[in-house]
Amino acid sequence: MSALQDFVTLTLVKAAPLIFAALGGVICERSGILNIALEGQLTIGAFTGVAVSFATGNPILGLIAGVAAGALGGMLLGFAATRFGVDQIVAGTGINLLALGGAAFGLTVVFGQPGASSEVPALGSSGEYALIIAAFVAALLLHVALYKTPWGLRTRASGENPRAVRSAGIDPRTVRLIATAIGGGLAGLGGVYLSLGELDLYSDGMTAGRGFIALAAVIFGRWTPLGATGAAVVFGALAALQFVLQRTGVSTDLMQALPYLAALAALTGIAGRTRAPQSDGVPYTE
Amino acid sequence: MLLAGANPLLGFYALFQGALGGKSQLAETLVQTTSLLFPSLAVAFAFRAGLFNIGAEGQLIIGGLMAGVIGSQLNAPGFIAIPILLLAGAFGGAAWSSIAGLLRARFGGSEVIATLMLNIIAALLANYIIVDLMKAPGAAETAELPHSSWLPTLIPGTRLSIALPIALALAFVLRYIFDRTVFGYELRAAGSAPEAARRAGINLPKMAFTAMALSGAMAGLGGATIVTGVLHRFNVSLSPGYGFIAIAVALVGDLDPIKIIVASFGFGILQSGALTMQALAQVPKDVVSFVEGLAILALAARSFVAERLRAQPAE
Repeated sequence: MSALQDFVTLTLVKAAPLIFAALGGVICERSGILNIALEGQLTIGAFTGVAVSFATGNPILGLIAGVAAGALGGMLLGFAATRFGVDQIVAGTGINLLALGGAAFGLTVVFGQPGASSEVPALGSSGEYALIIAAFVAALLLHVALYKTPWGLRTRASGENPRAVRSAGIDPRTVRLIATAIGGGLAGLGGVYLSLGELDLYSDGMTAGRGFIALAAVIFGRWTPLGATGAAVVFGALAALQFVLQRTGVSTDLMQALPYLAALAALTGIAGRTRAPQSDGVPYTE
Repeated sequence: MLLAGANPLLGFYALFQGALGGKSQLAETLVQTTSLLFPSLAVAFAFRAGLFNIGAEGQLIIGGLMAGVIGSQLNAPGFIAIPILLLAGAFGGAAWSSIAGLLRARFGGSEVIATLMLNIIAALLANYIIVDLMKAPGAAETAELPHSSWLPTLIPGTRLSIALPIALALAFVLRYIFDRTVFGYELRAAGSAPEAARRAGINLPKMAFTAMALSGAMAGLGGATIVTGVLHRFNVSLSPGYGFIAIAVALVGDLDPIKIIVASFGFGILQSGALTMQALAQVPKDVVSFVEGLAILALAARSFVAERLRAQPAE
């Protein structure tokens, strides 16, 4: 393969988990829940996938369990925010701590060793490529679902004007709860991709801030599935470039900061008018 | 703990033995209390102004970085060096949080997103400066600070320094500011009733910027006290997440500076006992951050439950 082909492949490999997590972020934010726990949901998915694959010997079961666990992590945020009046930011921070500590603790429980799990049956490179394709398919599906279906309309309306949704006889809190479940599940799938797709083990800190890069991609992509996917691919290309440069011995600490700096820049509005959904992060109470 | 196959009673015993079992253990718990108190006050200060500063972690790192980088180059008598380093830390933290403050005040950008991003940028920047620019040999840390720059200890032979009384004094000053000054009143008004505050002539963007900068200064000061009082050098992993745990501490303390002192002590026990627990009872120390996450969720839901309970008709 040529160097360019290598680079494109690596870009897609690095972009896929960002796409999953960013799509999860888009759904949540469009419904009115600012999900800063994407990082935690990636961690939950990555660890659960490995633990279940280890226990059953079947990486497909690991994948399903990882997605389900991510969805539960999302619903934890959803329940806290919609039913228990917990501030979304506070709950998200709590879930991030919970997930990181829980996975590190889980390593000792399941594998009897801290730091990293042993190698488990994984999805292999064909599974990895299938997941990369799935990421782009998910983006298209979400685009259609958000803009062409009643569910999408309800979800978007809950994020813009939940009172209007309520007067249409639908409880926006339920809409938001469903959004956090789907969003958390997508982030969980991103985690499974990291642990069972790209690798075959879980190690502490392996998500490495991707949940926050995904948040940046959501903003840069202006809260749309296709926009966020595009931003995730750009950030994936940056990661691929770092990987190439690292091999030549160039320091990449500053390059790693680029996605986060891009998010800061987006907050100033230089990338055009960026506006979060009107009720993004605003609790709905009756 | 049961899950980890350890005896939970032994685990708890080890936790408290490790945190409170003797003079040196108690001193170490107070060290952790101090390191938590600064960022917790920072978080509470910003929350009171209606700002979600979840960037105390990054501000603490930048504060520590300033103190460590300057401190390792500076050889001056303590009464000159120590104030310079503490101020440098506070300044660094304030500068860092001001980026988020500026984005919020000038562009209306979400301080949540900004501080989240700044946390990670701070860690990367620290790594870049220490490893790539200063070419740290071996571990990613600065050289040791000269002894004259070390904070004086309160109990000889321990790491407990005058950082503790400084943090306590800061808590009382904040309590005074909140309760007794016009600025504190305006700050709380901007936080609890922004529309009313605006109509009353309070400049909300300016208030947001000021509150954010002061909040960052407190977290940065905390980072500087870890460098000058605890580690005596800057290390890129100087914080085990103090800035995030601080959110739990601030909530447990009802955003009240005095209650936050007590809450910091409680979490300080967890932090310092965790290592002993791991060694004695084979309970992994990560269980503590799991517990802290749970605590954040449970405590944040507490007011809701309390409201529901109050809403029950009295029998």
